[in-house]
Amino acid sequence: MKGVYNNRPFIEVNNVTFAYKKSDIILKDISTSFKKGEFTGIIGPNGSGKTTFGKLITGILASNKGNIFVEGQNIEEISLGTIGKKIGYLFQQPSRQLFNPTVREEIGFAHSFMGQNEKVVEEKVDKIIKEFSLEGLEDSSPYKISRGERQRVALASIFINEPSFLILDEPTTGLDMVRKEKLSQLLQDLQDKGIGIIVISHDDKFINKNAERVIEICGGGLCET
Amino acid sequence: MKLDPRTNLIMVFSLSTLAVFVVDVPLLTVVLLVSIIVANFFNEDWGFLRRARKFIFLLVGIVFLQSIFSPSGQILLSLGNFSILTTGGLLKGIRVILRMLIIIISATIMAGSNPREIIQGLIQWRIPYEIAFMVSLAIRFIPILGQEAKDAFTAIQLRGIEIDKLSMSKRFKVYSYMFMPVLSGVIHRARELSTSLEARAFRAFPERTSYIKLELKNTDYVIMTISIFFAVSMFSIYFLMG
Repeated sequence: MKGVYNNRPFIEVNNVTFAYKKSDIILKDISTSFKKGEFTGIIGPNGSGKTTFGKLITGILASNKGNIFVEGQNIEEISLGTIGKKIGYLFQQPSRQLFNPTVREEIGFAHSFMGQNEKVVEEKVDKIIKEFSLEGLEDSSPYKISRGERQRVALASIFINEPSFLILDEPTTGLDMVRKEKLSQLLQDLQDKGIGIIVISHDDKFINKNAERVIEICGGGLCET
Repeated sequence: MKLDPRTNLIMVFSLSTLAVFVVDVPLLTVVLLVSIIVANFFNEDWGFLRRARKFIFLLVGIVFLQSIFSPSGQILLSLGNFSILTTGGLLKGIRVILRMLIIIISATIMAGSNPREIIQGLIQWRIPYEIAFMVSLAIRFIPILGQEAKDAFTAIQLRGIEIDKLSMSKRFKVYSYMFMPVLSGVIHRARELSTSLEARAFRAFPERTSYIKLELKNTDYVIMTISIFFAVSMFSIYFLMG
């Protein structure tokens, strides 16, 4: 067992059903929970509903039936902005969550709208740049760096909010062995700090190496392995 | 009922042309009613109307904006010397709303047409293939762009920014940031598309052959004639009424 554990689940999923169209149920009557400090891998074939599940527990999609609670609060009663402070979500394509012309601006972006002291934000950005090994890229455009670096920038930008939980959708797509290893190390470090991690992936090798709990989405339900 | 895409285009063109040129409110109301009946007959998906409910405030806002910036007639609502709602402004606002509704509702007639068939219809009307292809690309990309803008907005909020708590100026500033990922996605997609078009020898030969050949049926001719007759009649009534 790795990481710092807390007995109370951070995310609770109770009897959740979801369908994009009424006749086409993607997830049916799903119940599970996720704790802080726990590394969970979610696997399943294409179109099984892995990304949909990730989007449900982040509040991007609303369930048709059932409830999802984040830190005891019903997710439907919390704004996406509030959820974003608690849960960091890394999209399948990190470029979709990059909005600024330079890496430095990107990392400090959210804080520039939170009325925080500029000096404090700058200090935080410097710390995060070091933590995510982004030195030398501060003034580069997030769109002109490698995929692995772009992913680290997206993660760093999420981490400036100090979220308690992290959901990564297919983070190993397009990464070579060395970059996968770097990502693995980075996630281990975050887990050691007590952050809960969910990785949605096809990469069984990466999941088996890093996750202590693996959930497979099969036939619209969850099969824990 | 499955019609030739050219018939659908003629119907949309007739209705939207009337919406643009006719100024008379009762006539515009008749055109709107006809658009609703026709769209209901050819289109089963009215889900967009449910989504359009969000824009009701925008429509009401248009009436007030028309009244404020183009006041005429009797004052219905005022704040001191400043008129907020006038009869003339109200009429202009209603006119704009009717026009928008006619254009949006008549455009749904095209929803049942396959984009490939629309291109073929345009080509058979002797419109150059390149232009017809661009039209079909535009139709194909609109929903993708919409989804990307929605994703960008979600991603901004998930960065911990509570949009509802921001001042209006900051809110607009946040919206401006959405352009970067959407624009980058468009450029990226356009590059990939042009490469794949080159790889598939697009425009390698001046003449193109097509597997699809559209043929107008009697129903198409009847509906096209009725559409044109309706448009001409409405214009005649409008101009005769002065």
